[in-house]
Amino acid sequence: MMVARFDELLARPVSMRALALLRVLAGPVVLLHLEPFLSDALDGETYRDSFYEPYASWYPEPPEAVYIGLLCLAVIAATAMSLGLLTRAATATTFALVAYNVFLSTTHYQSNRAYLIIVLAVLALAPCGRELSLDAWIRRRRGRPALDPSAPGWPLWLLRFECAAVYGASGLSKLVDPDWFGGFVTWKRVADARDDLEAWPLPDWAISALTDADFHAVAAKFVVFTELFIALGLWWRGSRYAAVWVAVIFHLSIEASASVQVFSVLAIAVLLIWTVPSTRDRVLRIDPASARQRRFGAAVGALDWLARFRVEPAAPGAPIEVDDRDGTVLRGAPAVALALSRLPLTAWFALPALLLPFVRSARRAGRPGIGAPAPASGRVGGR
Amino acid sequence: MTPRARTVARRVVVVGVVAVQLAFIARGYWADHKQFAFQPFPEASTWRAEIVRVTTDGRRIPIDRPWAGYRWEELVTDRGLRYPGIRHHADTGLDNQLAFLDSALDWVAENTQRDRETRYLEARVTAWHNDDPPRERTFRSAEREGGG
Repeated sequence: MMVARFDELLARPVSMRALALLRVLAGPVVLLHLEPFLSDALDGETYRDSFYEPYASWYPEPPEAVYIGLLCLAVIAATAMSLGLLTRAATATTFALVAYNVFLSTTHYQSNRAYLIIVLAVLALAPCGRELSLDAWIRRRRGRPALDPSAPGWPLWLLRFECAAVYGASGLSKLVDPDWFGGFVTWKRVADARDDLEAWPLPDWAISALTDADFHAVAAKFVVFTELFIALGLWWRGSRYAAVWVAVIFHLSIEASASVQVFSVLAIAVLLIWTVPSTRDRVLRIDPASARQRRFGAAVGALDWLARFRVEPAAPGAPIEVDDRDGTVLRGAPAVALALSRLPLTAWFALPALLLPFVRSARRAGRPGIGAPAPASGRVGGR
Repeated sequence: MTPRARTVARRVVVVGVVAVQLAFIARGYWADHKQFAFQPFPEASTWRAEIVRVTTDGRRIPIDRPWAGYRWEELVTDRGLRYPGIRHHADTGLDNQLAFLDSALDWVAENTQRDRETRYLEARVTAWHNDDPPRERTFRSAEREGGG
């Protein structure tokens, strides 16, 4: 019974839209990742010119010219992956070359590169080139029917597990380390970098606080519980938006305070996979006669990269209206806040607005059975 | 592939990946190299090393002096090992850092063919694990075949 339910979960058809968007964003991340290798190669230096350590003696090491050629091929493949040209082959090639390069030497390994390899592996396994791709555009141009953009959800569930594992493993390792949890590690790192800190435009009290051991005794626990909250909070619908919101701040603060290569951009991009894997199951209604509403509808259409909304005309003179997936109907400012909170680029700014009392009460009042009509369509493959 | 085989394949792949990932995370608690364990910023440990070349006639020559056309900082450019004499943070943990140092000694010993006098390289490391008292450790490269 349990196995059957597990198999059903893995096979459940869900929208690959989030993975398609992640694929588009992963291309530039791969280019950023390859930049130091390519930059060295163009200066005539490769990993073999200084200390490196192969994982295994049998692992093939190409001549220098071939190695540089492979790096260039990785650039081409990553670009094609992002554009969605020969998507499956391009993504598999990008994954293979990035993984091959990282595993050439133990010195190439970094956590962010491991995460990138995992993401590329999942993208290579998932049929995520059927939308947001040149392949789909070419297919349309040739008059052929579009491919089904949904597919068995197991690659998505696997990437969700990996995403949560990254935060969970990090938080757990700090939780069980008394030096970390007690604040010594962060305090020592900051105290040793006090000269750098003083070069920042920070007031004296802030520098004093940041180099104070008592501050770190509290701050370290805050960091640990933040990571664990993200790892666990992403799994439940009630805490997911908060976890994503916190994760974005978490990554931006890491990016500002440490050198983590592509980790921040990659990790923020991967947060897209936590959206419900169904598309066009919300309706945004705008009055076509209103220039403001038309502009808003156009903006939503342009920024709705995860295909959350169908935009439909409302009755003349009606305010902006959103029919949410659960049948909740919002009008006016609460509808605008909800719509913006569901778009990747504006979500982080708009999500706090959903906590405003008037938006909360509008959402309560707009629930089905309290005055709003039942939804026209149910959830599709929702989780 | 039959639907049944597809179902089993999916199950095997997902369970396998989850198991391997969890194993890597567990391995991170004891392995020097913590691949796929995701333990960033693990320590505030610091270290420094005095590295010498021990020649066939017993001299101990610091590697901050060039030898046979080689320079340590050109041979070992990565993983915070370029200037080992300066006290550094062990960015990915002390064990990881010293494992890299140990490997770097071997790599330099093996890849300096013009050097005809060095028998082996030796690093005397002083390491501070977080706020523990300093510990001294010595690492040696393998004996060089061409030395002398």
